[in-house]
Amino acid sequence: MSALEVRNLRKAFGGLEVIANLNLSVPAGQRRAVIGPNGAGKTTLFNLITGWQPPTSGEILLHGVPLRSGRPDLVTRGGLSRSFQKNMLLDSVTVLENLRVACQAADRSRHSFLRSPASFPDVRRKARRAAEKMHLDNCLDRTVNELSYGQKRQLEVAVALCAEPKILLMDEPAAGTSPAERTNLIRLINELPADLTIVLVEHDMDVVFAICDVVTVLSYGKVLATGSKDEIQGNPEVIEAYLGKQHA
Amino acid sequence: MTRHVTIEPVAEQACDSEPARGMDVQRVLVLATCALALLLLPFISSEYVLTLAVEVMIAGVFASGLNVLIGYTGLASAGHAMFFGLGGYGIGIGTAIYGWPLWASVPVTLVCVAAISAVVGAICTRTRGVEFLLITLAFCQMFYGAAVKLRLTNGTDGMAGIPRPDLSWLGLSADGSIVFYGYVALVAVAALLLVARIVHSPFGSVLIAIRENERRAMAMGYAVGAYKIGAFTLSGVVCALAGILQAQYTYFINPDSMSWQSSGEGILMVIIGGADAVMGPFIGAAVFVLVKQGLSLITGEYNLFFGIFFMLVVAFFRGGVVGAFRTLIGKWR
Ligand SMILES: Nc1ncnc2c1ncn2[C@@H]1O[C@H](COP(=O)(O)OP(=O)(O)OP(=O)(O)O)[C@@H](O)[C@H]1O
Ligand SMILES: [Mg+2]
Repeated sequence: MSALEVRNLRKAFGGLEVIANLNLSVPAGQRRAVIGPNGAGKTTLFNLITGWQPPTSGEILLHGVPLRSGRPDLVTRGGLSRSFQKNMLLDSVTVLENLRVACQAADRSRHSFLRSPASFPDVRRKARRAAEKMHLDNCLDRTVNELSYGQKRQLEVAVALCAEPKILLMDEPAAGTSPAERTNLIRLINELPADLTIVLVEHDMDVVFAICDVVTVLSYGKVLATGSKDEIQGNPEVIEAYLGKQHA
Repeated sequence: MTRHVTIEPVAEQACDSEPARGMDVQRVLVLATCALALLLLPFISSEYVLTLAVEVMIAGVFASGLNVLIGYTGLASAGHAMFFGLGGYGIGIGTAIYGWPLWASVPVTLVCVAAISAVVGAICTRTRGVEFLLITLAFCQMFYGAAVKLRLTNGTDGMAGIPRPDLSWLGLSADGSIVFYGYVALVAVAALLLVARIVHSPFGSVLIAIRENERRAMAMGYAVGAYKIGAFTLSGVVCALAGILQAQYTYFINPDSMSWQSSGEGILMVIIGGADAVMGPFIGAAVFVLVKQGLSLITGEYNLFFGIFFMLVVAFFRGGVVGAFRTLIGKWR
């Protein structure tokens, strides 16, 4: 059974069909890239998979279970977590608190209102471990406002990891980072457990091929091709889609 | 695993305890000073000062209830006077119409207000920003209208004879200004401690997450809607408590307690004090009550001067009085 299965998915905003009859199947443990020109519908696909937006039609199955749209919180608690293309962090709060609150969501203590968060050390420990995983343990007490852009991108992924997902969606985690930060990010992602299913949206092909073994190319909401690096690079339709974008 | 155990305590100290301990000493000092001042006040001051202190504390409870919503959850309500008024009317109706003793009327009132604010909250928190402001205001006007129109609440005349607690079993009378001061101080401190406890809990940390980035809070896995209703309800109940004290203080409740001006004054206090801090609303209430008193002694146009004062605070003290004070301490160190 696939970790993530998308069947005949459509999404239209008014007359604009952004996702057009899309089929996708990602086996458990795979590292899948979804690439495509700007406006191809990659972020929209993520929004549909995570329940942020209802599909116009079609079906999304997570480990064989149909997704209920409109409740992103339940999707996360069900084991699918995402990072966002645009940073979505708790800006005036410390890095540690960002991660602690994220870890707390999966903990029973989230309902507690008469005790201090300090009386749940497990949550804090998990937050620290998430920080270590993304090499943020040297800036735990800084607020998000004080971080470099690269660190914010790392935190964005770290927060998504706190949900202890089985499937992790990342929307352009490396966008806007320096080459050094990018290399670092690739290494950190590759250190994640092998049984974690990853779907990565990314424009930078070096990042894509350093992390993923299978690539899906999206254009105008349709899958153009799915395959390995060589298969994709040799595909004339893919070349045209990207060249077409450059000429536009 | 063992590696974690040996490493973490060190990391914990290096990262957290420095600023935390500094804050703790500061906080304990501030709290101790406040407690001492509260205790000594009746012995060193005139009746007039005690009266002002009572007004400050009641306004402080109201503002700290409102602050749960504005400061912590990031939802600016322009209608919380409705709960302030409901508190006063609740015990008025309970004692005068139904003839219940005060000790029964108070909890019944608070439970009813909790239920009402949960329902109102469930409706209002579906909106945000200006819409939220307007819909809370609309609810407040609705309750105001009901209080004006209903026979039960005695219309615009309001209800007189709201009872203060019966303390004869202690050989005391709450009609005396010192005893009533003590009663209000006890209730206010208890309310403040409860609010502080709740906003510094896991629940409170989710409210802050919602304020900072609601969508992220949802993406983390929180049922954001339920948390917002929870915050709204808590805030409503605390404001009702303030309303109960106010009605007892004046032995009286009328629809004006639910006017939009009262809601607005609450917001002003929260902003003056600094929306974020727990003590902020109390300090905001103190500044509000005292400056207004002071100005009204000097001039009849105190509203105008208060407006100017308020604009100065907003323009020059970011984070309100508490924020300014913190910045000052930060520079001075
Ligand atoms: N809420 C919305 N309402 C209307 N149109 C939308 C909405 N969200 C996205 N679109 C449109 O859908 C198309 C696909 O957008 P999407 O953000 O999914 O693209 P993308 O592949 O993520 O692009 P990029 O690489 O720039 O991030 C765009 O043309 C966009 O303008
Ligand atoms: Mg996108």
